[in-house]
Amino acid sequence: MACKRRVSLDIVLENGNSAGMDRILEISLAPNLDSLGDLARRIEQFVAERGLGDDLGHRLNLTLDELVTNSISYSLPEVAEPDIRLRLDVEGDAVVAVLEDNGAPFNPFEEAKEPDTTLGINERQIGGLGVFFVKQLADARNYERDGGRNRITLRYRIGGQDQ
Amino acid sequence: MTDDIRLKVQIEREEAAVVICPSGRIDGSNVDVLEKTIDEQISAGEKALIFDFTDLNYISSAGLRVLLVTARRMQQGEGRTLFCALAEHIATIFEISGFKSILQVCETRNDALAAL
Repeated sequence: MACKRRVSLDIVLENGNSAGMDRILEISLAPNLDSLGDLARRIEQFVAERGLGDDLGHRLNLTLDELVTNSISYSLPEVAEPDIRLRLDVEGDAVVAVLEDNGAPFNPFEEAKEPDTTLGINERQIGGLGVFFVKQLADARNYERDGGRNRITLRYRIGGQDQ
Repeated sequence: MTDDIRLKVQIEREEAAVVICPSGRIDGSNVDVLEKTIDEQISAGEKALIFDFTDLNYISSAGLRVLLVTARRMQQGEGRTLFCALAEHIATIFEISGFKSILQVCETRNDALAAL
């Protein structure tokens, strides 16, 4: 495995099927919302060290916060030993983020209702914005349920979003 | 980018409005702090709230939800809510969410005060 390990503070895991991939950062998050600040700090460090730019940093920060928040709030509360982890890789001209948890099956891209962003202040629904941001700010996204885990894979083009 | 991962909320009183100045981050772990501060101001009968985002680095949908609810509550009480000094990436979030067209956003605090 041709790996360049840059971060060893938390948990760097071996993953057999990642041959050829430039493994960069894999972190395990505490399954409570207090870990959001820590998540942001890690993402910013990741982005800064690689000179990926503020715009990509903001996109990663917001979208991963939203998905981790959903996972902690809705998917994991009933799980006896909650496990949530994030992997960030640079692959070619993109950052690929893989977020996994062992919570209840939940595909946010199918199940979260889409907000109507054209409605007035009194008609606007309160929820649904988080997943909407992910759809808007990541260039590609995928959900799969695999071995009792939710896995969301997101792709972000470096240097600006796909048009 | 984010130097401070906590949220602090400071209140400043202008003649015509109460100015709420959050600094740091607003996310799902701390949005209740902001909510409580806002509640106190609305309960005290304030009729004009200005959110000055000069020192705000980050806001997620959890924070936006509180802003929307606040603007709605204020409007129902014949009050006003204005927002100013948004960093570029926060202005982008206001744009994408459609909040820019339903909330009143100004460049500077003075602009917001003048718009009351």
